[in-house]
Amino acid sequence: MDTGQEGRMRLPEESCTLVAVGAGPAGLCAAREAAACGVRTTVLDENDKGGGQLIKQIHRFFGSREHGAGKRGFEIALELAEDCANAGAEIRLNHRVLGFFEDGRLLVEGDFIYVLEAKAVVLATGALERSFPFPGWTLPGVMGAGAAQTLVNVHGVLPGKRAVLVGSGNVGLIVAYQLLQAGMEVVGILEVEDRVGGYEVHESRVRREGVPIYLRHRLLAVEGLEGVEAVLAKDLEKGTVKRFHADTLCLAVGMIPQAELASMRGCRMVFVRELGGFIPWHDGDMRTDRPGVYVAGDAAGVEEASIAMDEGRLAGVAALEDLGALSPNEARKRKEELKRRLNLLRGGAAGRPRAMAKERLAAGWRHR
Amino acid sequence: MKGDWEKVWEEARERPVALVDCRQEIPCNPCEEACRKGAIRVGEDLCSAPVYDPGRCDGCGRCVALCPGMAIFLLDRRGGDGQAEVTVPWEMCGEIVEGERIWAVDGKGKVLTEGKVVKIKWMGGRWPTRLVTIRIPEERALKVRGVRFRENSVGSSEEVDQEYDLPEDYPVCRCEDVSREEVLKFLKMGLRSLTALRRSSRVGLGYCQGIYCQEQLRKELGMVTRRSEEETGMFKVRPPVRPVKLGRLGGVNG
Ligand SMILES: Cc1cc2nc3c(=O)[nH]c(=O)nc-3n(C[C@H](O)[C@H](O)[C@H](O)COP(=O)(O)OP(=O)(O)OC[C@H]3O[C@@H](n4cnc5c(N)ncnc54)[C@H](O)[C@@H]3O)c2cc1C
Ligand code: SF4
Ligand code: SF4
Repeated sequence: MDTGQEGRMRLPEESCTLVAVGAGPAGLCAAREAAACGVRTTVLDENDKGGGQLIKQIHRFFGSREHGAGKRGFEIALELAEDCANAGAEIRLNHRVLGFFEDGRLLVEGDFIYVLEAKAVVLATGALERSFPFPGWTLPGVMGAGAAQTLVNVHGVLPGKRAVLVGSGNVGLIVAYQLLQAGMEVVGILEVEDRVGGYEVHESRVRREGVPIYLRHRLLAVEGLEGVEAVLAKDLEKGTVKRFHADTLCLAVGMIPQAELASMRGCRMVFVRELGGFIPWHDGDMRTDRPGVYVAGDAAGVEEASIAMDEGRLAGVAALEDLGALSPNEARKRKEELKRRLNLLRGGAAGRPRAMAKERLAAGWRHR
Repeated sequence: MKGDWEKVWEEARERPVALVDCRQEIPCNPCEEACRKGAIRVGEDLCSAPVYDPGRCDGCGRCVALCPGMAIFLLDRRGGDGQAEVTVPWEMCGEIVEGERIWAVDGKGKVLTEGKVVKIKWMGGRWPTRLVTIRIPEERALKVRGVRFRENSVGSSEEVDQEYDLPEDYPVCRCEDVSREEVLKFLKMGLRSLTALRRSSRVGLGYCQGIYCQEQLRKELGMVTRRSEEETGMFKVRPPVRPVKLGRLGGVNG
């Protein structure tokens, strides 16, 4: 530790050309693009494994060959991390980014706290599970569906014996299935809407296992003394209240883009419902309104892993272009191909509203 | 689709053939990649539903193992004895052995019939899937989408008092233990911004940095101010975004 002349503390400083914050699919793909082009690249992640959300996904993934489709999530995570490292990027795990200042410097905590300066920063910090308060929500046994998934698939621990899930989107359906795989009972899935939110194929998978999906049911409260003992839900059709006996309640009610660092850096934040909430404004190439700051993946709008990969690649290419490491011609070619792929990925009924939101962002949302 | 299944039904007299039950627009094509016979096509538009030609399928089962939606099955009626063999992908951890009796269920989870496990095969890359083949009366075969050991679902609930009163004193901010009642009280006093709420009630000032309560507060504020989420804005973000020991910031390791 160096103390300056006036006895002021100075943190160690380091510099690098491109930094990706987050080693999920978006950050790894952005870093791979940059490193493969010969640019000095560092990836920072607070986790002890690379791959972001993918490390806990044991199911096979949608997408096409470029996204590792048909393979299991953790398998894709391993491959992306390997590709990224092979391209020459340095992946620093257990490194948490604590701050991103208006002068463009990052405050990082690894073995010690240091300041990292980079010409280009790709924010690929993913998303957080949405939660909401209700009576009993602080009891042990109430958790996010993703947290339950981490427990069973990463740590090999069952959160309980009998679970109720809230939300029938893809995450709720997939996690319900994985709790069954791990040996838990799933009492049911509550859905406030009148139809299942996730894909039919995922719905069918859980229904085959005998899991009931209660449509038009609203979670009211959780009862219990030391932990969850029962879940109360209101049947919105009949107006009656049901009590389910369970010791675990998993919330799968959506994800919120995690973009605090962008906000701290002074990036303009916009609220886009279709993309999960507040995100840093970005153009069609994943540039934010601050020079040298890019965003990709769930932090730029909650979507899917395949989209996170291609957005990461796009951010990488845009950064390379701005750094002068790629000719405008080559950059244009690569960007066109990636945008074509992203359009295809957002082509279905579920993806179209997100595609339109992204278009609106790229087109006119720029000036307040 | 109906016509497709008639064709599957016919072809299955000669050899096992795939039955593809995927009709939604999902960005996905591993089935096409899996098939070496060109029997399944998704094409350039990744979100279009797969187009399947049972005439080209040789029943290899690769697509059954690799389909992320677990939406492909095999049908085999070669026996010609009124029984059919149906193969489904199975990803449960438990034991399953040949000879065992198991329930065959449809896509809604309804039990169709009981069958006998006649074959188990691992397929599909480094982390394979079990393909379980069961023998059942053939008139049910086209409907089978899965197998399970339990006949009934575990879901059960009881009706409780219709006039269930929800308490209002539950915490909105779990870190600083601020209840919904308190937040409503501050709103009644005329506070109209996230910052004001944060300063006066300490909501959002805890360990989680307002990650959990922020959306709820924005909603409550929006209801009284009629302002949109974007107008209400976010909590001002200050470093550190993750809790950190002061000593470490001061240069002490550990
Ligand atoms: C249950 C579930 C099932 C899913 N199934 C599918 C599926 O079948 N198909 C599909 O395409 N997608 C699926 N997804 C979505 C997919 O996982 C995400 O879209 C994808 O992982 C987003 O990638 P990302 O790189 O943007 O973020 P993430 O994968 O979330 O990675 C972000 C990384 O940033 C790190 N980070 C964040 N903040 C900091 C910080 N301050 N300092 C250091 N590091 C930080 C985190 O540790 C994390 O590793 C699923 C998601 C869930 C929850
Ligand atoms: S079973 Fe084999 S041949 Fe038939 S469609 Fe599937 S992959 Fe193609
Ligand atoms: S792999 Fe399965 S889920 Fe994906 S398109 Fe093909 S049949 Fe549908």
